[in-house]
Amino acid sequence: MINFLFLLTLLIYLAASIFQTLSLALGNRTEAVAIRSTIERIAFWGTAIGFAFLTLFIPLWWLQQGHFPMTHWTDSIAFFAWAVTLIYLIIVRLTHLRTLGSFVMPVAFIAILISYSFATHTAALPEPLRNYWLLAHTTLIFLAYAAFIAAFGFGLMYLMTERKIRKKTDTLFDNLLPSLGISDELGYRCTILGVILLTMGVIVGSLWTQYIQDVPWRWIDVKVISTLMTWFIYVVQIGLRQFWGWHGRRAAYTAIIGFGAVLCTYAGVELFLDSMHTYR
Amino acid sequence: MHPIVSIGTSHHVAPIEFREKLAFSEAQLTEAVQHLREAYQVQEAVILSTCNRVEVYAVANSMRTNDAATKMLVDFLSHYHRINLESLKKWTYIHHNLEAIRHLFRVTASLDSMVVGESQILGQVKAAYDTSREGGGAGTILNRLFTKAFSVGKRIRSETTIATGAVSISYAAVELAKKIFNTLEGKTVAILGAGEMSELTAKHLVSNGVSNVIVANRTYERAVKVAEKFNGTPLVYDNNLDFLIDADIVISSTNAPDYLIKRQPLANIMRRRRHRYMFLIDIAVPRDIEPDINKIDHAFLYNIDDLEAVVASNLKDRQQEATRAEQIVTEEAKRFYNQLQIFQVNPTIKALHQQFREIADTELQACCNKASFTDQQAAAVNAMTQAIIKKLLHDPMKNLRYAVNDGDADHAQYLQALQELFALDVKDEKPES
Repeated sequence: MINFLFLLTLLIYLAASIFQTLSLALGNRTEAVAIRSTIERIAFWGTAIGFAFLTLFIPLWWLQQGHFPMTHWTDSIAFFAWAVTLIYLIIVRLTHLRTLGSFVMPVAFIAILISYSFATHTAALPEPLRNYWLLAHTTLIFLAYAAFIAAFGFGLMYLMTERKIRKKTDTLFDNLLPSLGISDELGYRCTILGVILLTMGVIVGSLWTQYIQDVPWRWIDVKVISTLMTWFIYVVQIGLRQFWGWHGRRAAYTAIIGFGAVLCTYAGVELFLDSMHTYR
Repeated sequence: MHPIVSIGTSHHVAPIEFREKLAFSEAQLTEAVQHLREAYQVQEAVILSTCNRVEVYAVANSMRTNDAATKMLVDFLSHYHRINLESLKKWTYIHHNLEAIRHLFRVTASLDSMVVGESQILGQVKAAYDTSREGGGAGTILNRLFTKAFSVGKRIRSETTIATGAVSISYAAVELAKKIFNTLEGKTVAILGAGEMSELTAKHLVSNGVSNVIVANRTYERAVKVAEKFNGTPLVYDNNLDFLIDADIVISSTNAPDYLIKRQPLANIMRRRRHRYMFLIDIAVPRDIEPDINKIDHAFLYNIDDLEAVVASNLKDRQQEATRAEQIVTEEAKRFYNQLQIFQVNPTIKALHQQFREIADTELQACCNKASFTDQQAAAVNAMTQAIIKKLLHDPMKNLRYAVNDGDADHAQYLQALQELFALDVKDEKPES
């Protein structure tokens, strides 16, 4: 039953991603104006329903496994998709910029696809680590990742708008892509939010180590180092922006590089490198 | 049925020399409508007179044919403006009923305008209608027709994009600026040189929120003259571009033979303004701003051709949207025409029902008096007569409504036959207050 529901969620996310991307691809081509609002609506409500389903899985798995479902990486990646959707929905609530979904939803869908394909739901994490520290640490880190992915989406939106303005041939006046000023500002705010959440997550994580006795802990860990590097990229970007006016195009590029760093930190380390943080 | 007729001329069919002859001044309007109603026995009339079109919408007495009603309007225009019938025939168009309704809807939706989607026409039609209504010219039918026309006009503006996208160069500049800055609130515009186009653009920018205007010119007096219009700061331009550090939008239209703003100096300025966005508009021919500046980060350069391309592309989009709008107009016109016919059939139906009921009531009264029924019996007989009336009238009414809904031309004859056979005294519906 749970597996069937999860498959359903996966399909809903697929549909939402496709419709989101479609609405962006249609742009403001006049012949598409009539159906575009329908497509947008389907995409958005698909996202909302998909998110509601995904939210259900966390208590479901919790009950099924008897502990916070973050003890295997396939669970964690579903949780990651949940965090990405949550942040996206909050941004839509605040700004009405549904277009962001065209960039963010495919990421969430791929995460769920991976989770579904490899799901085992067996606890891979040593018993002593399954506690509320885990809950706080991973939630903070995943919300930070989600904020960075939103910033990445705004970065792409910025670059698309800029390209349109420079190209000069297109009609610019569709309402899908916000102005440069807005994309830039919102991307910046997401970056700040991400940095704050990541900092908190890292602090919680390092405090947690004080309480671990049965599991060997090492500071020189691939994941720790790559997380700190990711953190550093974003902090440097914020600093450059504050003191040297590095905004707009440069900020957009940094958001994309940061997104790459997040992927490396999360997926790369998980799958290809041996780390204290891997769920194996 | 009351024929609805419209006769008119517009920039599509007639030159200005003819349109100005046919035009009504504002002062003439009320009096002309009144004259049309009194001297030509037109029941209702609205006259629309703008610089691009003159149109008369009229509802004639139900006894008149379309052609007779048309002739009245032609005579009216020809006498009122002393125009011979040949040129009227040559330069005007005439529409009846459904076509007249559709035409008004098209006009109000600005599908018939020179610039499709322009917003003025809706207000102009409204003003014409108000003038006529205040003078008692618009009655039941035209009230409905024009109210519907306004709602169709609004529907088309909100459901299609015919009214979006700038169609003039100065508005295109404003829209571009908004696409870059989002809000123009608190922004500074610098005008280099002077000229009608740059002043117009600056004016639009200011009315959209730009708060500071810097006017730079070779001669201080000229700068002052232009700056006064915007409450701006005048500057003497002496090859020093430092004032651009504060400028978010630059409009250049000087007569200089070479580039005034070159890439390297502007790159320096961009650095000094910490790479805040700059939108440069080069209206001058020959150009004032080096084209390569468009390659500098956060500096966006549009010259006159670029802006014209934006306008052309917007116009093309509006044309495409117009096709969709035409479909909406046709649908709405058909629906309205149907409703109008049903609405016009209603008085006859009502009169017929009333006549039957009155006869029944009289007979029932007489019968009750003779037969001394108990209350219960009287009620039963009454119910029976009502049922008979209902059943007798059911099929004729149903068929009449079908005829109307199918757009069957016969229904006018049906109506007339009913009225004559039953000697009905049909009163027009009172206008809703």
